[in-house]
Amino acid sequence: MERFEYSRDREAVNAARARALEALLIEKGVITSETVDKIMAIFATEMGPFNGAKLVAKAWVDPAFKTLLAQDTMAAVEQMNFATKGAGAEGEHMKAAINTPEVHNLIICTLCSCYPWPILGLPPYWYKDPSFRARAAREPRKVLGEFGLNIDPTKEIKTWDSSAQIRWFVVPERPEGTEHLGEEQLAALVTPESMMGVAIVKPPSA
Amino acid sequence: MQTNFEHFALSSMMGKSDMPPKDNGSLCFGAPWQRQAFGIALALSKQGVFEWDDFRSEMISSIAAWEVAHENTDHSWDYYEIWLTVLERMVQRSGLLGDATQASPKALLSSP
Repeated sequence: MERFEYSRDREAVNAARARALEALLIEKGVITSETVDKIMAIFATEMGPFNGAKLVAKAWVDPAFKTLLAQDTMAAVEQMNFATKGAGAEGEHMKAAINTPEVHNLIICTLCSCYPWPILGLPPYWYKDPSFRARAAREPRKVLGEFGLNIDPTKEIKTWDSSAQIRWFVVPERPEGTEHLGEEQLAALVTPESMMGVAIVKPPSA
Repeated sequence: MQTNFEHFALSSMMGKSDMPPKDNGSLCFGAPWQRQAFGIALALSKQGVFEWDDFRSEMISSIAAWEVAHENTDHSWDYYEIWLTVLERMVQRSGLLGDATQASPKALLSSP
């Protein structure tokens, strides 16, 4: 009980310190009350149309589509009637890496920053960071841990290196407890990070 | 894609001792004040109030000092509390606020 009171007080003190600092900086005209929101908006997902999430959700509810997606990704993408039809710059040669209970897939590009943008939108900042690319190839488990994703040690991690010829994306595993959800609701759960393999898809309430 | 300051700042911490906590791929904040402190630090560095490298050096040495002073099982570890302390120090050092006496959090707590 005492410990709880202590930590609550500490939280309140920290909150007051942050508030006081912000107020002083606003008063001095250094920042405005919108500065923090503006800065943080940069870190929100910067992805384009969410085509990839639709592909993933369809694969979850339709086993035949999932098989097609794995074997002939472009044929599966064609079926979706996306505005970009999967064609166009950097979209021509996409391939899906399907996560299973035994294998977790991670996409990187050590040579360039190839990225299937019709499916995933524009790549996030860290994807082009040279040290991310090099380390993800060398020690994927450790790098994923730094993303707050700890993969079960018994699970294999496969790293797929995109190139000018093939752009990979990940089909994450369907989370448990989503049996009652429809395709559209499922698509809303799929994050760009999960289609890069640096995150998993969590059930709605998690 | 052009790299903006925010992206540079965060990717420069990847894999280093001062990397902020993440959950399932994203930055995670346990409370609004943590997000506030994070955002203010980035904004001030972006404006040139202090250098990002200098802020990070302070973070790294403060984290190292905490680790020396505490057992690694100590549950009182709070990444963003250290962040906030470093941020206050950097602002003070910049002279930005003149000799404005630092607002006392205790006093603020009791004020309405």
